[in-house]
Amino acid sequence: MQREKMLLRAVNISRHYGDFRALEHVDLSLSTGEFVSVVGPNGAGKSTLVNVLTGLHQPTTGRVYFRGDDIAGVGAVELATCGLARAFQLANVFLDLTVRQTIAVSASSYLKLRRSAFVNLMGHGEVDGIVRRVAQAFELTPWLDVKARALPHGRRKLLDVASAFALHPKVILLDEPTAGVSTADKHGVMETLLSASKTLGVEAIVLVEHDMDLVSRYSTRIIAMQAGKKIADLPRDEFFQNEEVVSIVIGKGAANVSCA
Amino acid sequence: MSSILNILLAGVFHAATLFLVTAGLQLIFGVQRILNLACGSIYALGAYVGITLTTWALANGLPPYLFPLVLLVAGLVSGLIGIPLERLIRSVYRRPEAFQLLLTFSLILIFQDVIWFFWGAEPQQLSNLTMTYGTISVMGVTMPTYNIMLIAVAVLFAIGLNYYLNATRSGKILRATAENHETGAAMAIDVKRVYVWVFTLGTTLGTLGGALVIPTTAATLQMGVELVVEAFAVIVLGGLGSMKGAIVGALIVGVIRAIALFVYPEVEVLAIYAIVLAVLIWKPSGLYGKVEA
Amino acid sequence: MNTSITTIDNSVKSPVQSRKGIGGKIVLISFIVAFALAPQVIGHYYITLLIPFFAYAITLLGFNLLFGYGGLLSFGHALFVAVGAYAAATLALNTGMVSFELMLCAAVGAALIIATPIAILASRYTGIFFGMLTLAFGMLFYTFLNKFYDITGGDGGLMLPRPTLLGVNFESANNFEFLAGPFYYYCLVLVLLLGWIMWRVVHSPYGLHLMASRDNAVKATYLGVKVREVRAIAFIVSALYGAIGGVILGVNTGLADPELAYWVNSGYLVFMTVLGGYHEFIGPVIGALVFILLQDELSTVTQHWRFFLGVVLAVLVIALPGGISGGFRSAIHRVRTKGAR
Repeated sequence: MQREKMLLRAVNISRHYGDFRALEHVDLSLSTGEFVSVVGPNGAGKSTLVNVLTGLHQPTTGRVYFRGDDIAGVGAVELATCGLARAFQLANVFLDLTVRQTIAVSASSYLKLRRSAFVNLMGHGEVDGIVRRVAQAFELTPWLDVKARALPHGRRKLLDVASAFALHPKVILLDEPTAGVSTADKHGVMETLLSASKTLGVEAIVLVEHDMDLVSRYSTRIIAMQAGKKIADLPRDEFFQNEEVVSIVIGKGAANVSCA
Repeated sequence: MSSILNILLAGVFHAATLFLVTAGLQLIFGVQRILNLACGSIYALGAYVGITLTTWALANGLPPYLFPLVLLVAGLVSGLIGIPLERLIRSVYRRPEAFQLLLTFSLILIFQDVIWFFWGAEPQQLSNLTMTYGTISVMGVTMPTYNIMLIAVAVLFAIGLNYYLNATRSGKILRATAENHETGAAMAIDVKRVYVWVFTLGTTLGTLGGALVIPTTAATLQMGVELVVEAFAVIVLGGLGSMKGAIVGALIVGVIRAIALFVYPEVEVLAIYAIVLAVLIWKPSGLYGKVEA
Repeated sequence: MNTSITTIDNSVKSPVQSRKGIGGKIVLISFIVAFALAPQVIGHYYITLLIPFFAYAITLLGFNLLFGYGGLLSFGHALFVAVGAYAAATLALNTGMVSFELMLCAAVGAALIIATPIAILASRYTGIFFGMLTLAFGMLFYTFLNKFYDITGGDGGLMLPRPTLLGVNFESANNFEFLAGPFYYYCLVLVLLLGWIMWRVVHSPYGLHLMASRDNAVKATYLGVKVREVRAIAFIVSALYGAIGGVILGVNTGLADPELAYWVNSGYLVFMTVLGGYHEFIGPVIGALVFILLQDELSTVTQHWRFFLGVVLAVLVIALPGGISGGFRSAIHRVRTKGAR
């Protein structure tokens, strides 16, 4: 049991906005090798959960621990350099930077080069190496010198995710990385994410997803949310055998159902 | 006691003139989110047109006590320049703020030389017209009656603008557009027409301010650029886009200026800006503005 | 994975990559040669214009770090130009030392002290608020310079005596001989040196982080960029460059003039930068040269040169926001794509 390290742990976190309870008493843990999907209807609090886990919002109560340390008030910048990365739901990129430059931002953070004003970035071996590897992992190599504003939406999303991966995080949280991607491509994207994770040493993944097909295919564990509460936290197979939970999450008349 | 009253009155008078200029600025910023650096130049235009029109009218037999009416007309007429100006500025509505600022800055350069071309470089004045109405003495303080009239006009403007923005349909449309441009468009408000109207109204407030104030001061080529220094202090103190802020800011700046002039004239602008910076550091959105970091 | 072939639009290729090529090096060398030979070739009058050009080139290289690369518009930057001139004059006045190198040090030191608190405060904001904050500081400094006669010489300014260059005293030369001779070459070397430093800064990881924070501050944070810190550093560096420019201007006129800090001059700095093109490294330098020459030519023709400059600025803003260098780039691109067919 001790071979698996506990990477991310949320203890009894709640997040209130006045009267509105976005999260209520949620516990969560994430260990090495896990691929946890967070599912639930819209407004269930999935994105809020990710925001709290990645330090964007402080929980109203409760604590979040990353690799044993309380991350309250740590801030996104520190977390990014300590191995906790996230990608956004809406493709979030630097419109006037090229793919190469975008990935290099992460690479230089990872290599702790950010303050150096005199390191010549053009042709810096290590940064270049990371850029090439990450671009290749995400099949962005032909677009290395193209500015993000010229990329179509799907590739921008990939760039967003790729730049997060370039931080060589231990844990990465992905918020609907396949939203807006055509169904035919979705699996391709997931495969890319998984192989990139292996190459770059990512130890655990948290995925917020609506597409239950993807969830059933790739997750090791599934957490279901509803109205800010965690209503299930089960290994994948058990989850899909639990009819009650499945029907709450999938609801009536939802698409993309394919029981494992 | 009378010197305190003196200072206060002088401060309120100056605040009145500042309010007339900055009200237009705030209106334009509030609805269109454009900071018109050329507000001072517009004020100057109103002043110069006011002088020319009044001098002409007096020379053609206008009884002196009617001169404020001429100034009013001068202010309203020169305010029409807002229409072609809005057309020009329309081309940068969707551009980054830097470009909007630069465009209004270019207007400053253009206006300054246009005024120079038409009116020459010598400072201009309407001699002694303020004395047409004599002076008023209250509690030992003497002030030209015209100055009191000006304060009254500014107050009327404030009340009128307040009523307009809050109680009339047109005003409410303005406020709706200010809150959210998309919602405004969605409510079938012709946003383009609103913009033309707002910009012209804001410009006219500036030219009216210039015209009405000119009897109490001189018109110079630098007045447009110099006015920005104080107008800017007013809107920073009061908060961008806030009419209430314009009033409060103008009062603060006016009174500080009056106090400084009485105590230690050298530090006049310095004192104003020390307060401005203090406010900016404590609350960068100003007293009544909204934060948009 | 379905990799649909998208035509790669060459117009959005990174200029950095193309600059690596021969083109950039040729431009640089011709620049150096042209300006090195200028005093032999160009008439006296134009040489006297080139010193302010060097001053503004340096100032704008710094300014564009903040504006073009950092996305922050400071409308009070003339403040630091004045700081430089006044620091140099105050040094000479109080200590009698007239070494140009010491003047530069004093300028840089003063700018560092003044810029740091402003940078820390202003780096919390962007857009209009940043502009307003810097405008306010600029106006405050201007009134300070104008009013505190005992410290700053009031509206008459402070005298800046002719400095020694690298310890060498040029007393025997008249004003023109000094300015158009040793001082000219010294400034040219300064421009090249400071330009080289800025080039390195812009192409370093710091530069990348700065651009990232310009384009998308939130995303940048998530990639480990310390946005506030990066902005503050850009502000401080641009202030230092501005101060160095100010020393040159001060030596040129022999005077530290409070008008240097007037807010309209801050506006001119932005004007020059946009004129030359703020998207390109060399843009602001081109802008400084064109502006100075343009203003000079116009003022010999008419009193109302401000009007024409205003029109130029308006046209620039409305029709050619990329400035001169932006215009060049599109022209080159059009030629390239025509050739490719």
